[in-house]
Amino acid sequence: MSGIGPLEPGEGTRAWDTAQEAPLGRRRAPLAALYARHRRAVLALAATAAVLAGGGYLYATRPQQPPPPEVPYPAQVVAMSYLRDRATPPGAPARSFSFEVLMRVESGPAVTVTRVTQPYAGLSAAAAPHVPFRTKAGAPRKITITMHVTECGKVPKDAGMPFLEVTLRNTRAIQIQSFILGPHYAQHLSRALKVACSNSGT
Amino acid sequence: MRQRSLIAITAALAAGALTLTACGSRDSGDKGSDSGNGGTTVTIGVDAPLTGDLSALGLGIRNSVDLAAKQANKKNYVKGITFKVESLDDQAQPSSGQTNATKFVGEPGVLGVVGPLNSSVAQSMQKVFDDAKLVEVSPANTSPDLTQGPNWRTSKSRTYKSYFRTATTDAIQGPFAAQYVYNKAKKTKAFVIDDKKTYGAGLAGTFTDEFKKLGGKIVGTEHINPDTKDFSAVATKVKNSGAQVVYYGGEYPQAGPLSKQIKAAGAKIPLVGGDGIYADDFIKLAGASGTGDLATSVGAPVETLPSAKEFVDNYKAAGYKEAYAAYGGYSYDSAWSIIEAVKKVVDDNGGKLPSDARAKITAAMQNVSFDGVTGKVSFDEYGDATNKQLTVYSVTGGAWKAVESGTYNGS
Repeated sequence: MSGIGPLEPGEGTRAWDTAQEAPLGRRRAPLAALYARHRRAVLALAATAAVLAGGGYLYATRPQQPPPPEVPYPAQVVAMSYLRDRATPPGAPARSFSFEVLMRVESGPAVTVTRVTQPYAGLSAAAAPHVPFRTKAGAPRKITITMHVTECGKVPKDAGMPFLEVTLRNTRAIQIQSFILGPHYAQHLSRALKVACSNSGT
Repeated sequence: MRQRSLIAITAALAAGALTLTACGSRDSGDKGSDSGNGGTTVTIGVDAPLTGDLSALGLGIRNSVDLAAKQANKKNYVKGITFKVESLDDQAQPSSGQTNATKFVGEPGVLGVVGPLNSSVAQSMQKVFDDAKLVEVSPANTSPDLTQGPNWRTSKSRTYKSYFRTATTDAIQGPFAAQYVYNKAKKTKAFVIDDKKTYGAGLAGTFTDEFKKLGGKIVGTEHINPDTKDFSAVATKVKNSGAQVVYYGGEYPQAGPLSKQIKAAGAKIPLVGGDGIYADDFIKLAGASGTGDLATSVGAPVETLPSAKEFVDNYKAAGYKEAYAAYGGYSYDSAWSIIEAVKKVVDDNGGKLPSDARAKITAAMQNVSFDGVTGKVSFDEYGDATNKQLTVYSVTGGAWKAVESGTYNGS
């Protein structure tokens, strides 16, 4: 007969070659004697261990306040929108024009504007208030941008989507963000550049 | 004495055990149930290319929607509602997309659909969904006409009120690329190539318009056949044109080999594209010579969004085989916008879905607003995302690295 026998012993069966276990009393005697000699100490130790384990577990699983949310990156909380064109401030050089934008910080700590530029060669930009200035959440700030055409040959003939580059800083990071101010700004910029460079051969 | 000792140790152990038990029961009581909520099951459909060249993007969309549904179920976000996801493969083909849209419409349990990837596919699906008042939220379509009508350049008009998207349009993406290329990269001569598809041709068009307005010169244009991978003839034309940059309107399966072949032809100039090439597979296909190539993509860089970190961690923990890819965050937000709309409708109807749930969910979508993976998620009067952030990425050291980030505010 071939094959494999039952994997588990059947009911009432027992392996013949299993060694008899030693009497329990003889093996436990030294431990029992030790326990008898130091019963109080053993009990005290066991109780302390149980209390410590319970306390430790309680401490480890104590209700905790979730960590405060991280401060957002400044570019994620700043909105910049074009408002209107403005009169050029007194003392501005010829071929300058101005407009107003609204800066809002939607949440988080105050954001400082450290630089305002624009990307075109042949143009420079300055902000009022002068940089750096801080804006707090819930307190929108109007900023007047004055641009000066330094070289008409290097300004765009037209632009569909011009933007301002603003360097923002808060307690989290410093970021340079391009704010695309939309069609009203694009129209104003194109018109102003045409006027500024209409009588210029440069 | 012995008995007293036994009582003492038993009491101490019992106290410890009770303490542990109390902690355990308090903890599990707060977690709620991870299993289904019982009650009604709402199906969110997914339409995306799950096979073929663009499947890396499509599978990322599917998995991210699945993750959103699982998170909603785990949080019991809409009481009495269990969300499930059914995904269909459109193979990036408009005809397949339309078939899938018809199938979703025919299943009463489907109350919202996320997708598709391709704008051309969306065009074939919009009317089917709109007729059934079944809301559709695309995480990836960028063609402006899908929301603002065919004459969007001159007069915007919304055609389909059931269509929404979390992605930014090419009306912003193409010009943003042009501004970067002309003003920052100081490239004034561009060669423009597209794949003749809705997305690619549209993007190439908006780039070209802005680049010319800025004073740049288009020194050549070409259309490629997306079914081929041999672009040597076009590459030679680019080389001979004297272009300083190539703008490609299309997707990464073609853009990668195109970039490689242009450089091999001797034109060591960057290839620039839109979100369709912003994929790790582009870098693999373009090879080492692709270093310095550029892509614009919708949204802020993921590492600057705290909400994105949670999404990335959850996606990893869920164990999906495929990466969430370029549109994972937008797909999660698209699915979550449907979940928010379902919640609004259920809450307004005494905790149950109304009989005209589809129409009500479509209407509710217009006012959805929440902090999503990609920032604040809400929709304007055309169904476009109000969050219009864009980032320029450059291939640096074998990976995409953010080099410029912008925010659009057209108001």
